[in-house]
Amino acid sequence: MLLESIKLGIKKGIETTWMLAKVIIPVYIFITFLQHTPVLNWIAYAFKPFMGLFHLPGEAAIVLVLGNTLNLYAAIGAIRAIELTPMQITTLGIMLSFSHSLFVETAVVKKLDVSVSKFIALRIGLAVVVGMIVGQVGELLC
Amino acid sequence: MLEILKEGVLGSLSSVYGIAIIVIPLMIVLQVANDYQALNKIAEYFNFFIKLFNVSKAAIFPLLVGIIFGISYGAGVIIQSSKEGNLTKKDLILLATFLVTCHAVVEDTLLFVAIGANGTVLLGLRLIMAIGITYFLSKRINLKDLSVLENEKNKA
Repeated sequence: MLLESIKLGIKKGIETTWMLAKVIIPVYIFITFLQHTPVLNWIAYAFKPFMGLFHLPGEAAIVLVLGNTLNLYAAIGAIRAIELTPMQITTLGIMLSFSHSLFVETAVVKKLDVSVSKFIALRIGLAVVVGMIVGQVGELLC
Repeated sequence: MLEILKEGVLGSLSSVYGIAIIVIPLMIVLQVANDYQALNKIAEYFNFFIKLFNVSKAAIFPLLVGIIFGISYGAGVIIQSSKEGNLTKKDLILLATFLVTCHAVVEDTLLFVAIGANGTVLLGLRLIMAIGITYFLSKRINLKDLSVLENEKNKA
């Protein structure tokens, strides 16, 4: 029985890794290409004031967009492709923990027969408020 | 052009590798815990949530499943339990509130730790916020409001 469980665990682990790879690799390559074009600089420039609230560089906006529309794996691919400090990764991590994969997960929550708009507002609200606190406090401490 | 592609492929493969060495052992542990029904036993230690949030005993197991395994699994167990009629409307709302803010904590936290984030900060803040908000909401909702809500829903 234990052996069976371990085998099934390995299978699930490989399946998950494969699923991750399918998302992370294309996103990572895409962002790497973007870095060699002016596009990333434009995005970074446009989002600089907003992302500054969290003490994050403007291009980190892409990470938040990918994480919230697609999933955490896409966001992680993008984080790895952009140069960030551990503190900035922690800030992004906390924001994305509260608010990610909004389309898919909201569909799941809807099955519970509760009104979903408040839950989306709660998630985004927490991401922004806690992200700001962690970003600002982290900047003071580092 | 080829240089950029090489940079992208190598970089992304090393990211996937870093995640694989965490995800595969994690899945083994979760699978063993699941097959040996460890969660049922662990659930008994979390009975303080019943008092804290003023929920039914039946809400504890789906809560733990969601926190550890993820929102889809949690929702699956919640739907199952509510079909059996063990959960009240208040339980449902509080479970959903907790789980949208805090789910799959093992996997999510480790994924970010694998790329250099501080895991204690991530997990700590997530748990604190989820417990705080659910507690606040559990004091705000009372049965009267809920029956009004349900009546409105029946009319609609």
